[in-house]
Amino acid sequence: MSTSAIAAGSEFADGGHHDHGHHDHGDHGDGHHGHLKLQYQPGLPLSRGKLIMWLFLSTEIMFFAALLGSYVVLRFGALQWPKPHHVHLSEPIGAFNTFVLICSSVTVVLALEAAKANKASLAKTWMMLTLALGSLFLGVKGYEYQAKFSHGIYPVKPMGLVHEKPDLYYGSAVRARLSDPMILEKIAELDGMSETDLNAEEIAGRKSLAEVKRLVNDPAQEAFDLAVVADQIMPLPAEAGSHGGSHGLNDTFAWLRLPVVIPGGNMWASTYFLLTGFHAVHVAVGLLVFAILLTYQLGPATAGMIENAGLYWHFVDLVWIFLFPLLYLF
Amino acid sequence: MSTPDSSRDPAAEHGPRTRPGGLPETPAAATSHAADEAHSGPGEATPHSDGHGGTGVYIAVFIALCALTTMSFFTYSPLWPWRDEPQVGWAFMMAVSCTKAMLVVLFFMHVLWEANWKYVLTIPAAMMAIFMTLMLVPDIGFRSRMVSQERLLYMARPSDEALLRQAGTAAEAKADGEEAH
Repeated sequence: MSTSAIAAGSEFADGGHHDHGHHDHGDHGDGHHGHLKLQYQPGLPLSRGKLIMWLFLSTEIMFFAALLGSYVVLRFGALQWPKPHHVHLSEPIGAFNTFVLICSSVTVVLALEAAKANKASLAKTWMMLTLALGSLFLGVKGYEYQAKFSHGIYPVKPMGLVHEKPDLYYGSAVRARLSDPMILEKIAELDGMSETDLNAEEIAGRKSLAEVKRLVNDPAQEAFDLAVVADQIMPLPAEAGSHGGSHGLNDTFAWLRLPVVIPGGNMWASTYFLLTGFHAVHVAVGLLVFAILLTYQLGPATAGMIENAGLYWHFVDLVWIFLFPLLYLF
Repeated sequence: MSTPDSSRDPAAEHGPRTRPGGLPETPAAATSHAADEAHSGPGEATPHSDGHGGTGVYIAVFIALCALTTMSFFTYSPLWPWRDEPQVGWAFMMAVSCTKAMLVVLFFMHVLWEANWKYVLTIPAAMMAIFMTLMLVPDIGFRSRMVSQERLLYMARPSDEALLRQAGTAAEAKADGEEAH
């Protein structure tokens, strides 16, 4: 930006409300006279860094609004949507993560206050705490993702085991998995074991696996039989909080990985992983920014940077404030 | 940014102010530059002497946020009186979330103490966000209102969940019967 552009632009933006040396602008001598005083005015009463950050955040508002909006519209337009406990979401873990993120927002604000008060080491402590809390959030998120993956819930097809309903396609998918040579071998091994080598759960599981094999291969099978198959493989928990108790074949024998039925589960997985994934990417970027900030002396000179990083971080917190109830409690 | 960030000038919060400019440094500009640096240098470390913020305010907001999170979590507990009407809980949780968002934006993001530019940036973005969501409703929100029989055949429906539940109940009854024998 050239100096004259700034001067002219500011005069425009100002509307002449403030006296900032108008008589100087009339002087076209440009330095001919020693008394010429140019004064520089930003168009808006905030630093350029903060202005850019707010502009970026306003695009971010629309970005996440589009994601959240499509989630809400998809969810309420669907004929069937899984309950949080159907898809192994743990509400207390989600609430814990909300708490972690709120704490990290507070620590950023306190880091900024400390930096402005010229307490660099205190600011660094708060900043380090923020970094730790953000990492904890990501760690918990990773643990939650692992819980989904272990139940066959993936955002994409090749790994995902979720079927929408216990129909013929489901039956044939179970049949295909049960005729996989590796699985056949494992089942033969299981059948060959004596009852003394197995615990009660495995004995019951062996029985229910035989029943599943019989039902999927039964030519006279009905829709209800396939529902029984799905229930044996992975029962839908009846009540919130009971997901620890319901045990299916996939839990008893982890190698089995049979297709499961979660009505509405695929659309749920797509939206869940997209929303939380984009949010987690934002958290990761924030952590990177904090890690870079930690290499600075966090005094008043860096307060502007801390403030801008903080604005971003609070926005990430804000998104989670909406994500938590929408995903975990609705 | 090529220029030193002098955003901590307290006057910044209240209106236009002088700040160092770009390239050609006239003697006058240099003077103003020096003046500005002297103004925002480490010597003037007193934070926000213009009377907003403060650790006490932030701690109060933090406690409020925790309390509000507990409130929305409360809808999940057996004590919540409207367990059979999920819409009540949804409306309640959205109200709580909006309150939390307001607290974060107003206090943590300092918007409460900003000049009027805040409206220019946030209101259009918020309106666009609402429009965007509304635009999705006819196509996606109502997608299952008019649906062919064939598609209905492959869509998950509440009857599927009911069927799975029935199968679960039957399996449980069978297991209980076997235990009794």
